[in-house]
Amino acid sequence: MRGVLVIAGKDLRNLFLSPLFYGIAGLCTIAWTLVYFLGLQDFAQASAMSMMQGGQEGGANIHFVVFARHISLVNLVMIFSVSAMSMRLFTEEKRNQTMSLLLTSPVTATEITLGKLLAGLTAAWALVAISFLYPLSLRAFASFDWGPLISSYMGLLLITGCYVAIGMFASSLTESTVLSVVMALIFNVMLWFVGAVAEAQPEPPWNKIFEHLNVGTHFVNFIKGSVSVAGLTFFASVIVLMTFLTQRVVESNRWR
Amino acid sequence: MDMIEVSGLFKSYGPIQAIHDINFKVKRGEVVGFLGPNGAGKSTTMKIITGSMAPSGGSVRVAGFDVFEDPIEVKKRIGYLPENPPVYGDMSVESYLKFVAKLKGVEASRVKAQVEKSIEKTDLGSVRRRLIQNLSKGYRQRVGIAQALVSDPEVLILDEPTSGLDPRQVAEVRALIKELKGEHTIILSTHILPEVQAMCERIIIINRGHIVAQDSLEGLSTRMAGATQVKIKVARPSGEVEKSLQAIPGVSALVRVSMATLWRLPQVVPQTVRPTVSLSELLKQPFSRGRGFLSFAVRARILKRFS
Repeated sequence: MRGVLVIAGKDLRNLFLSPLFYGIAGLCTIAWTLVYFLGLQDFAQASAMSMMQGGQEGGANIHFVVFARHISLVNLVMIFSVSAMSMRLFTEEKRNQTMSLLLTSPVTATEITLGKLLAGLTAAWALVAISFLYPLSLRAFASFDWGPLISSYMGLLLITGCYVAIGMFASSLTESTVLSVVMALIFNVMLWFVGAVAEAQPEPPWNKIFEHLNVGTHFVNFIKGSVSVAGLTFFASVIVLMTFLTQRVVESNRWR
Repeated sequence: MDMIEVSGLFKSYGPIQAIHDINFKVKRGEVVGFLGPNGAGKSTTMKIITGSMAPSGGSVRVAGFDVFEDPIEVKKRIGYLPENPPVYGDMSVESYLKFVAKLKGVEASRVKAQVEKSIEKTDLGSVRRRLIQNLSKGYRQRVGIAQALVSDPEVLILDEPTSGLDPRQVAEVRALIKELKGEHTIILSTHILPEVQAMCERIIIINRGHIVAQDSLEGLSTRMAGATQVKIKVARPSGEVEKSLQAIPGVSALVRVSMATLWRLPQVVPQTVRPTVSLSELLKQPFSRGRGFLSFAVRARILKRFS
């Protein structure tokens, strides 16, 4: 446990003291601000329309018009930015030749991997926290239901957790930062393409299987405000599986 | 008591045998030098002792703990300086050493004192707040040594500790290692003979993955005192040439230094011969007639070969 915190602490310190994190966070907020603003405009228009029609329909739903759109953009941006940040986790260590320091220190491969995961999660979740400021700031002007927003953010935290674990695994496989980023991107995007396969498989046993493997269905459920055991299990198992694979790769350094 | 016990160590990278049946013991407080040309297997042996690489066969015990059964116990006791100092360019010297101290399990209350101590020993006070990426190679190497010392380990494994240093720094590092003698058990590798003479009590000579000799410095020089090394160049070396050289009475060892080069350039076959071997005997050998016996040189002491 000590090793986990020491390694995570070092990585986070180096990340938050480097311009990389601020560069990524800055670029993310530019994209988010533009689209969030457009979402708000659409919402204002839709509300005005329903007001003119007498307001019987109950007006537009801010969660779907503004927040859901914001969250799906955050997700899209995270696929790229988390891949870029998580490449550092192991690839940098190997390029710096500092991997031998970690491997000859009294820490286990599991501690090294969990330390890296913790650092990656903290960095990625810091970005998610920044994106949470957008809906939060709206609270000053309007009242809305917290429930679906919180469940959406739960989904967002879990899915970025998956991206981190996948990126960490990719970075453990190679010494090349470029290859590591490209691999992470491909794995992350593949996660979403399982959905396309699911749609192309109408046969009974397969469509169910692919539906459960589809990030899209689980994530949309979180956005809709339904937190299901199936969804939690899915995300948790992706993270655990990727962490386990990374741990095996790190451990294999000892016997290769 | 034996601090380090290496027995029957093998390592192969695919078809290439890096080290071959390495056996040695190091007593507590002893300073042992690994001497050998590049690619002899020094680094491989050191990596295996530190537990960062697994051998293909054999075992290593450090302070009574098996490296593969109790790796954590072993690693607590080892400070390791690899060939390239394992430093993070974007950290300052001081924060880097703090990180290593914590990573090596130094108690939180002693971290600061240990960092100070290793900074002082390696004379890094003037650069402690600078980023490691902005330091010269010599300073980086010293940061590497400081890193190995910071947890005050019982065993120090230093892979070419003086490489990249200027002569004054080399002298300083040698003095430092002498100072550490007794407190720590030290294994260091080098391909420079005076280095070993200056710092070590015992020498292990490795060549092509084999231990060629291991003895105290005095023992080794007396053993080799009578021997003469003769370096012979032939244009068309073959197994036959080697065989006939070995057949000369008095030849104790035959080492080929360079393998085939481009366009059949002359090759060098040095050999150790007792002084009793007469030159005429050499010249009588078949390879000397029409087979391109190009030159030979006589060297007085075998140890020179490593310098």
